[in-house]
Amino acid sequence: MAKTIMIIDDSASIRMVVSIALKKTGYEVIEAKDGKDALGKMTGQKIHLILCDVNMPNMDGISFLKSIKQNQNYKFTPIIMLTTESQEAKKQEGKAAGAKAWVVKPFKPEQMLSAIEKLVLP
Amino acid sequence: MKTDPVLQTFIIESSENVQEMENSLLQLETSPDDEDTINALFRAAHTIKGSAGIVGIDNVERFTHIVENVLEQVRLGEIKVTGDLIGLLLKCCDHIGRLVDILSEGEDKAGNPDLEFEGQSIMEQLTAYIVADKDDLPSAQKDTQGVAGERKEISSDNRMVETGNWHISLKFSRDVLRDGMDPLSFITYLSKLGEIAGLTTLHDAIPDAGEMDPESCYLGFEIDFRSDSDKQTIEDVFEFVQEDCEISILPLHSENKADPPVVGAAPEKQEQIKAFKAKEAKTIRVDTNKLDQLINMVGELVIANANIDQQAQRIRDNSLLESASALSRLVEDIRDRAMKVRMVPIGETFNRFKRVVRDISRNTGKDIELVISGGDTELDKGVIEKIGDPLMHLIRNSADHGIEEADERLALNKPGKGTIRLNAFQETGSIVIEVSDDGRGLNRSRIMNKAMERGIINPGQSLSDREMYDLIFEPGFSTAQKVTKVSGRGVGMDVVKRNIETLRGSVDVESHEGVGATVHIRLPLTMAIIDGFMVGVGPLFYVIPLDMVVECLELSEADRQASLKRNYADLHGKVLPFLRLRDLFNEQNGRPPYEHVVVVQYAGRKTGLVVDELHGEVQAVIKSLGRVYKDIKGVSGATILGDGTVALILDVPGLVQTAKRMRKV
Amino acid sequence: MKVNAEKNNGLCRLQIEGEMTISAATELKKSLLDNLANCSELEIDLSQVSEMDTTGFQLLFLVKREASLLNKVFRIISHSPKTLSVLKLYNMKDFFES
Repeated sequence: MAKTIMIIDDSASIRMVVSIALKKTGYEVIEAKDGKDALGKMTGQKIHLILCDVNMPNMDGISFLKSIKQNQNYKFTPIIMLTTESQEAKKQEGKAAGAKAWVVKPFKPEQMLSAIEKLVLP
Repeated sequence: MKTDPVLQTFIIESSENVQEMENSLLQLETSPDDEDTINALFRAAHTIKGSAGIVGIDNVERFTHIVENVLEQVRLGEIKVTGDLIGLLLKCCDHIGRLVDILSEGEDKAGNPDLEFEGQSIMEQLTAYIVADKDDLPSAQKDTQGVAGERKEISSDNRMVETGNWHISLKFSRDVLRDGMDPLSFITYLSKLGEIAGLTTLHDAIPDAGEMDPESCYLGFEIDFRSDSDKQTIEDVFEFVQEDCEISILPLHSENKADPPVVGAAPEKQEQIKAFKAKEAKTIRVDTNKLDQLINMVGELVIANANIDQQAQRIRDNSLLESASALSRLVEDIRDRAMKVRMVPIGETFNRFKRVVRDISRNTGKDIELVISGGDTELDKGVIEKIGDPLMHLIRNSADHGIEEADERLALNKPGKGTIRLNAFQETGSIVIEVSDDGRGLNRSRIMNKAMERGIINPGQSLSDREMYDLIFEPGFSTAQKVTKVSGRGVGMDVVKRNIETLRGSVDVESHEGVGATVHIRLPLTMAIIDGFMVGVGPLFYVIPLDMVVECLELSEADRQASLKRNYADLHGKVLPFLRLRDLFNEQNGRPPYEHVVVVQYAGRKTGLVVDELHGEVQAVIKSLGRVYKDIKGVSGATILGDGTVALILDVPGLVQTAKRMRKV
Repeated sequence: MKVNAEKNNGLCRLQIEGEMTISAATELKKSLLDNLANCSELEIDLSQVSEMDTTGFQLLFLVKREASLLNKVFRIISHSPKTLSVLKLYNMKDFFES
């Protein structure tokens, strides 16, 4: 059964690049444009991994992360945070909140895929 | 700088890579856009640079770095491949080749201004390419690390030749699973980068049922990993957990082990380099498979020779007998020499633990020194490869649990710095490896209590120290968290024992409370051919490794009568426990008029084996028994005799154990 | 995840259905230990397990160890491809067969 990955990013083009690469590899993908959108779309879904941007309108990545960690259904879901190098403070905050996997933008699709493979069994 | 085999390996490897560069360049003359060729060219230059960095050949590293930069841009399509460029790059190959040659000739680099001038001039031309084709500055600092392959680590005290063999130790944090990460997926990912040659799951940290938090991770792993990936790539597998987990990735280097150690101390470098040049011609690298095939053939030769010997005995032709015995001597000689080819000193295996101990010292805050001796003791290559894991376990045990915290040591009037010793030496027919520490030692009463709790011994049963300490190798003993916590021992000791037994070796521990503990590992000298002593029981033949045979006696009638009731005899006034092989192997045929006792000795214990007949010495080529027969007690292998019949090789260590146990009952 | 228990004298046969993963770990631990406490012989059927992660593995290990401490019989009577691949990857297949 295909694994489902959620990509949360406010840039449509980034979502598209990631989504295409993931689908090509055989993953199911759910796209969300911010944290709030994500919380709405994930309800009732089995999600195997979440890719989450840090800087987003509405609900940013860190707030989303904290809310997920409170959610019985999703608190153990692996999360990869997407960040740019300048966001060191955010990174520390995110790590403290339980997000240990960080990938720095810009990344190549292959880098993203190998990061995912380290966390999700095929 | 290290001038031992590392330099020699560098010279060989770099010469090969220069050749590879040349081949690629010549190919590019006909197909200048071929990506594979360009990549191969780049990789070769990259490898030369990387290894020059490790070995500390600065001029090669500096020069090749510029070459690599140009090639990087060629790869990216920023510089076009032209005839002129190929010509220049070929000059580069020649130059690198000369720099490498100088190393093996031992010429003083500083005294060669011509070569330096040549290098300078080529570098200028190369730089011109970079500047001409790029608007910005030469990308000398450009990071080329992303390139697949050889990013090699340079560390001042730990220069190693990477051979694609790695040992990975992992201890995951309690929270890792809660963070959404699972060791399973990391290890699965790792297995895609290469081959997991061995994996031991360390589960001793799983606490008692009541305390165990099902969402916490308690596991650790020791992994033997084969891969062409570089250390960084392997480290990257664990990048998301590296901050919270204990991860150590050690390259195992085995290149050129067979070389005798190069003169120690610090003679003139030139001298050493000259010695290399001389040695270069004398050593060749051989695929171990080829060696093993050769040794197998020698094994067959031994069997065939035994056959001829028997025929000659039967025909009783004197000149034939003479020829046969001359042949036997030669075959024996060939056998010994062939076995020696596989023997390598254990020193390098020992040395890699320096790093382990240093890491543990740092992690635990204990001050621990590793003292190594007997590093030139030679063991079969196959054994060396497999002994690393058990040693790793033992050393970790000593460092983690044996050695006390510094203040505790000081309070006990011990030096604050703990010492772990690794020693190896040869002892009648075996190689002994000792791992000892001056820590707290094993706690007798705790072991006793635990063993009683487990029903391994009965209350009131009295055990010698040795018997008591042997209990820690019992399976199940190690899983007892309390023993681990309190006595500090028992971590995977049954695994250690099993690993060593698969090498036909044995292990025991000696301990003095408060003073320290020593683990002795005994390993057979060779893996394939042994001198044996053949005996008969009923219609069957058995072979006892000759170096364990002490003497042979006839079983006296008195002892024989008595032996039906008890299982020990009188040997020179001392009690000798013995085993009747007929009983052990359920021999139904009638008892012969006379029986014999073969006295064997192993790890300081003598035991008598009662047999029907003595047949004398043989050379036995060990064939392993299939899986099905693996668990037969008392037998460690089989051999084929000259006339084609099969004889079983007795597992003396196992039998000595059995005899000891029977006496207790 | 669902645990079906079938009891017969001292023998207890458990069939685990669904995911032996961290979300169900607390519940599974309790169920395994409770059932072990009330039997002398525990058999586990894993053939209906669709996922198993490290928490599931640790619990199997815990129960086997606990059983041997209590001198009870423990065995796994069947595997699903997922559970088998976990034991193989961890090189613990033999351990659970011994």
